Amino acid sequence: MADAMRATVATLLKGIDRYNPENLSTLERYVDMQIRENTYDLEANLGVLKLYQFNPGYYQTNVTAQILMKALTNLPHTDFTLCKCLIDTVRQAEEPVFNVMKLADMLETCRFQDFWITLQKEPDVTMGVKGFEDSIRKFVCHVVGTTYQTIPFEHLTELLGGIPDSQVKSWINKYGWQLGSDGNVYITNQEDNIKTKNITEKITFDSVAAIMASHR
Amino acid sequence: MWSDQYVEDAVYEGHQEFASPYAYQPPAYNYEKHTGDPRQDMEYERQYQSTQSTFIVPDVIKNFLTYFRKCIKDQNVYGIQDAYENGFSKLTERFFKTNPWPDAEVVAPIVQNDPVFLNLYKELYYRHIYARVASGPTLDQQFESYYNYCNLFNYILNADEPVGLQLPNQWLWDIIDEFIYQFQSFSIYRCKISKKLPEEIDVLRNNPKIWNVHSVLNVLHSLVEKSNINKQLEVYASGGDPDSVAGEFGQQSLYKMLGYFSLIGLLRLHSLLGDYYQALKVLENIDFNKKNMYSRVPACQITTFYYVGFAYMMMRRYQDAIRTFSNILLYIQRTKQMFQTRVQMYDQITKMNDKMYTLLAICLVLHPIRIDESVHSQLREKFADKMLRMSKADLSEFEQNFSFACPKFLSPVPPNYEAVTVLNFHKEPFMLQCKVFIEEVSQQLLIPTIRSYLKLYTTLPIQKLAIFMEMTEDELKTHLMCFKHKMKNVVWTKGTSGLEGEFQSASEVDFYIDKDMVHIADTKVARRYGDFFIRQIHKFEEITRGLKTIQA
Repeated sequence: MADAMRATVATLLKGIDRYNPENLSTLERYVDMQIRENTYDLEANLGVLKLYQFNPGYYQTNVTAQILMKALTNLPHTDFTLCKCLIDTVRQAEEPVFNVMKLADMLETCRFQDFWITLQKEPDVTMGVKGFEDSIRKFVCHVVGTTYQTIPFEHLTELLGGIPDSQVKSWINKYGWQLGSDGNVYITNQEDNIKTKNITEKITFDSVAAIMASHR
Repeated sequence: MWSDQYVEDAVYEGHQEFASPYAYQPPAYNYEKHTGDPRQDMEYERQYQSTQSTFIVPDVIKNFLTYFRKCIKDQNVYGIQDAYENGFSKLTERFFKTNPWPDAEVVAPIVQNDPVFLNLYKELYYRHIYARVASGPTLDQQFESYYNYCNLFNYILNADEPVGLQLPNQWLWDIIDEFIYQFQSFSIYRCKISKKLPEEIDVLRNNPKIWNVHSVLNVLHSLVEKSNINKQLEVYASGGDPDSVAGEFGQQSLYKMLGYFSLIGLLRLHSLLGDYYQALKVLENIDFNKKNMYSRVPACQITTFYYVGFAYMMMRRYQDAIRTFSNILLYIQRTKQMFQTRVQMYDQITKMNDKMYTLLAICLVLHPIRIDESVHSQLREKFADKMLRMSKADLSEFEQNFSFACPKFLSPVPPNYEAVTVLNFHKEPFMLQCKVFIEEVSQQLLIPTIRSYLKLYTTLPIQKLAIFMEMTEDELKTHLMCFKHKMKNVVWTKGTSGLEGEFQSASEVDFYIDKDMVHIADTKVARRYGDFFIRQIHKFEEITRGLKTIQA
């Protein structure tokens, strides 16, 4: 179903047809489908924002907010920024769009604890985006995976939003990390990836052969 | 009558009836200076000009136009190129430095009313008004120039078989470039409504289709499709013969090049509208890392890299942005002398050069990596102060540099003529892009400071760094994660699509946290000397050659 829709929508976005506002209702339905079925199509969503930009009369705050929420699920990619560049500053200050902007700022600066507290206080901000929390957890794991060699279990739990131990363990398993007996989670041997580099110039004979030949 | 197909397709709801250009009645022109009789007019021009300066001979212009037309008629490409690049600009300098070239009506009898020539002449005529005439184009002239472009594009696009016209690549590029420039300048003009007279606003309101964004997009898309340029590029990238898929039209240089330049035009247009994804997407069949047969027009090359680099910067793909800017800046550095004789082009390139150095400076402050030695030394020379202020978290410095170096963003829709709610409506598009950029920068504002501490150590306890940074350990850990997140960019690795890539981190200073300890990896670079010697050898060779010619 989702694949069929993706293909249909792709034809609507080809060439000049992309700017045809008659496609808007189909594209908006498609956004809704992404929300319900936990699928994602950045290009189609940007197409919607583009049509709003060209036809301000058709602008819908809720759809825009949903698109932005979906963009957050694709972090660490910068989809959110791409969307933001197409939304008027005045529109960005309106609710619920403004709320999503605040969430984005927390996530982009890795203030994960603040993010989960906000989500707990106002559960409605997720706007029913299916699988939203887990998408964010994936992003958290991405950041943890690049930052830490070992991280205390409690700290990881906090970053993942205070979920039960069993769930934290399944995230640990998913990424192939190891929970040690000392309560630390071993991520990976970062020393292999992150080490001091000494760059010295290597001049190959080939790269200077020509110039040497011409100056004999 | 020209078919409206290429413009009409773009007009959707709310624009049911299509206005033919002939439905538009140009307001009575100021013909005071002209009698209506072309010969007398020429006489008048002659007198008019001779009162200004005694050595001007309008016959020169007459002869030039006759020759120019002959070249185009005979399809003498070198002749056209010479007339276009040298003749026209020389005569401009002599006779029309700040006043317009003769009206097309005056020129028509000189060139036997040749419609194609007049179409092209008017392209030059209006372009010159936009560029040189101090008062700028009037609203009527902006409209007329638009119709002239429509005529030209319809002549090319609506033909059943390829029109037998060949123009130099430089001119074809200039046509597309100017078409978008005039659209951009009209869009900005249209939005400055606070300074307009009610009559002017009426004219704008009654002509919503002129310089409409849909029409502009449609022209560019039509040229892309007519030329099959995307298929051609695809085949070309995989080592095949583009002509095999080019089709009847696309095999002709006129169509092929207009198609290619339209892709670059779309890159620019999408960027001006803040749509960076589409901007890069339209280029997905062009391989920039390979020299290609389409890239022989320097101005086109520079425009392409500027917008690609800018889009990357906005997408937080700093490594790609830096690579793009360094490549083109190096190219400019090496070829700049070639343009010294062509003043206008030289000025333009210099301006772009400064803008791109500024953008490169921004990117390198946010994402320090090693770049080409000679570009780097230029940068140190000109931008050291700016870079220092930016790395000290000075947001206003970032903003200033951004506003100097960014494209002139625009709004695709006309303002609400009835009620102006936003005071600076024409600045809105800029403010939006600037806001997005500044928000991104603010999110990573502390990173340079953290980096400056990390640089000093190979291991550093979190607790100690937290004291340096004057924050709690928890806050610091958050900032360290943010550091890692922002430094890990998508980087292009292979293929023609500039959108693709994989996450990499090439930052000069990298680190990881192990329990309570930060382990730091620095990049130490030994001085490079190979380039230096090679350059000296070349210089020496040049001097010896110079000396030899003097002796001879």
